[in-house]
Amino acid sequence: MDKGEKDKYELENRNENSINYQAPVMSSDWQFGGANLTSAGMSLVPSGNPLALGSSCASASVADSFGSNLWEHPSNSQNLGFCGINVQNGASSSNAMGIGKSTLTSLRSGVDRPFDMGWNAASSMLKGGFFLPNTTGILPQSLSQFPADSSFIERAARFSSFNGGNFGDMVSPFGMPESMGLYTGGMGLMRGPEDMFAANGMKSVSGVESQKSKLNVTEATRDACLQVENRAKKSPGNDRRSGSLFRANEEAKQGAGGSGNESDEAEFSGHDGGQDEPPSLDGAGGEPSAKGLSSKKRKRSLQDAEIDQAKGGQPPTEAAKDGAENQHKGEQKQTTSVNKTTGKQVSPASHPPKEEYIHVRARRGQATNSHSLAERVRREKISERMKFLQDIVPGCSKVTGKAVMLDEIINYVQSLQRQVEFLSMKLATVNPRLDFNIEGLLAKDIIQSRAGPSSTLGFSPDLSVGYPALHPSQPGLFQAALPVTGSNTDVIRRSLSSQFTSMTGGLKESNQLSNPWEDELHNVVQMNYGTSAPSDDLNVNGPQPSGNT
Amino acid sequence: MRPHSSLKQEFLKEWIKGLQRCSFPKKSILERKKAIKLSADIAMASARNGTTCWSRALISSAAKDGSDNNHLVKQILGPESDRPAVENKAPARQASVCKKILKRSCRIRRRGRRKCGAAAAPSSIAKHLVKKRRQILRSLIPGGEFMNEICLIEETLDYITSLRVQVDVMRSLATASVRGTE
Repeated sequence: MDKGEKDKYELENRNENSINYQAPVMSSDWQFGGANLTSAGMSLVPSGNPLALGSSCASASVADSFGSNLWEHPSNSQNLGFCGINVQNGASSSNAMGIGKSTLTSLRSGVDRPFDMGWNAASSMLKGGFFLPNTTGILPQSLSQFPADSSFIERAARFSSFNGGNFGDMVSPFGMPESMGLYTGGMGLMRGPEDMFAANGMKSVSGVESQKSKLNVTEATRDACLQVENRAKKSPGNDRRSGSLFRANEEAKQGAGGSGNESDEAEFSGHDGGQDEPPSLDGAGGEPSAKGLSSKKRKRSLQDAEIDQAKGGQPPTEAAKDGAENQHKGEQKQTTSVNKTTGKQVSPASHPPKEEYIHVRARRGQATNSHSLAERVRREKISERMKFLQDIVPGCSKVTGKAVMLDEIINYVQSLQRQVEFLSMKLATVNPRLDFNIEGLLAKDIIQSRAGPSSTLGFSPDLSVGYPALHPSQPGLFQAALPVTGSNTDVIRRSLSSQFTSMTGGLKESNQLSNPWEDELHNVVQMNYGTSAPSDDLNVNGPQPSGNT
Repeated sequence: MRPHSSLKQEFLKEWIKGLQRCSFPKKSILERKKAIKLSADIAMASARNGTTCWSRALISSAAKDGSDNNHLVKQILGPESDRPAVENKAPARQASVCKKILKRSCRIRRRGRRKCGAAAAPSSIAKHLVKKRRQILRSLIPGGEFMNEICLIEETLDYITSLRVQVDVMRSLATASVRGTE
């Protein structure tokens, strides 16, 4: 991010202009002296991690100020107190998230300038919220308030993962000793909250920590909540994209442009450093290397609480090394992957799973590395495709977990098949001769609704003319169903026209058709609309001719 | 998602062609319904032009020599039957072979599992549940028994969209015909 951008964001923050909706929420919160922002903070998160980075820029000032506060008061208690107090004030969530994000962006920019800017800009705004609680003893309790909001924790983990990636970027390209020193100091400070979060069941924190030992510096420095957010976001998607974290990290390490990094990390797509794979998330090459990297890091993170700054420069090499060592790290990967897959539905507040995979690793002793790798890749592919299914099958978006989703899919397929059966039976009863004189049907419809010409063919080009006129007339409710039904009838007509010669008078027909089209579409739309709801309920659609005329 | 309208268009075309080729009059409603459904299914499957596994399996199962619908299918497919039929024969053979292998492996796996005893860990229970559901899904989707899991989900996606198209077209046709007869 450029400095100019940061300035702009700060200004917007102050003016409560919403670059993205995260910024205005946070700024307004601070102005209101910490209204209860738990919900607001939560709402911030759902903005979508893709926006997180963007918003992080907007909130850079906030984050920077917070970060500055952290660094200015190196005492553990104070830092944690800020954390906890934020929670108490209700602004912590937004602050934490904003801080995490903003720090990410600021770090990514890799300059102290943003910090200065942020401090100057937001210090005034933040002072009220942050400096209020200079109490030191609040830390554990305040922090314990975080897990109360599991969804918040989720988001915190998400953001923390962002943090991780950004920090990696920051660390490697910028070997600034000062910043590193700060971060290490922050790390030490944040160790406490991290542990507490873990104790509170914030698996994301530990997960992040374990996964990215190289990023421990960053993890420790930034808010534990940020990491939690990031991790939480990752955990649901862990089974699908456990490697994406590393991809993001490695991309960050690659020192891509700040904005580029943001977009990449935000979308968690892209390629591992030097390990190109198709942009889809199930890049086999990237993931195993990422996994190996993660497994390696996990070990280290578990062993070392503190990480020296040298690690920051090493990740790229490590990535390459890990890629080569993937085969040998299969076990670790297995355990982590297994852990992740078993924790498919694990909420971010599940601390036990975080520790579990340590044990799991020891216990498992699975098959060969290549098998586990293939297994991992296969699982990622499956989960990705399940995501597509989630979009198609109605009512599946809120469901997580393979079994329940498969259940929904099965029900949906069964209901669709039953509908086909029923409709075919209905058609059989309606049309005893099976001739399905489409032309006759349509002509009859038109004649019924309006005394129009019997020629119902050859107006497909004119239908499009009629449709725009129809759409405004339709109520908004039926807009969705309109294209379907419209296309149905259009399809019917087009097919007929393809089989039969077109008729005369295109324009005349269209004009005459528009009204009958309206009536027919109204009825069909109502029918479809009425029946689509039951179908969503997985019931066989009863005939609803009452919905017609 | 694929462009819905184009799919509907194709499906409708094929279906009408197939229906027109069907030998009328069938005496009973059930036979008629069967013919309608069959032609619709085949139209849907042929709209895919053999790109998906389920479509091939559908056509091949409908065109099986021993089935009742054989003559119908041949009629419906008509002159186009040569190409899809050729495609279908190979998958059918492969399908039978795969089926045997699958059954054998399932038997072996079952034996192995029994030795392990009851699985108390929640993860294994979850896996068992998921596996059960996968089996059900396999039985639902035509030709699903011969797919691995990744293919299964892809085929499910495709199958669901095709079913949706089918339902929409049939429903609109039914309503139109109902209103036409009123």
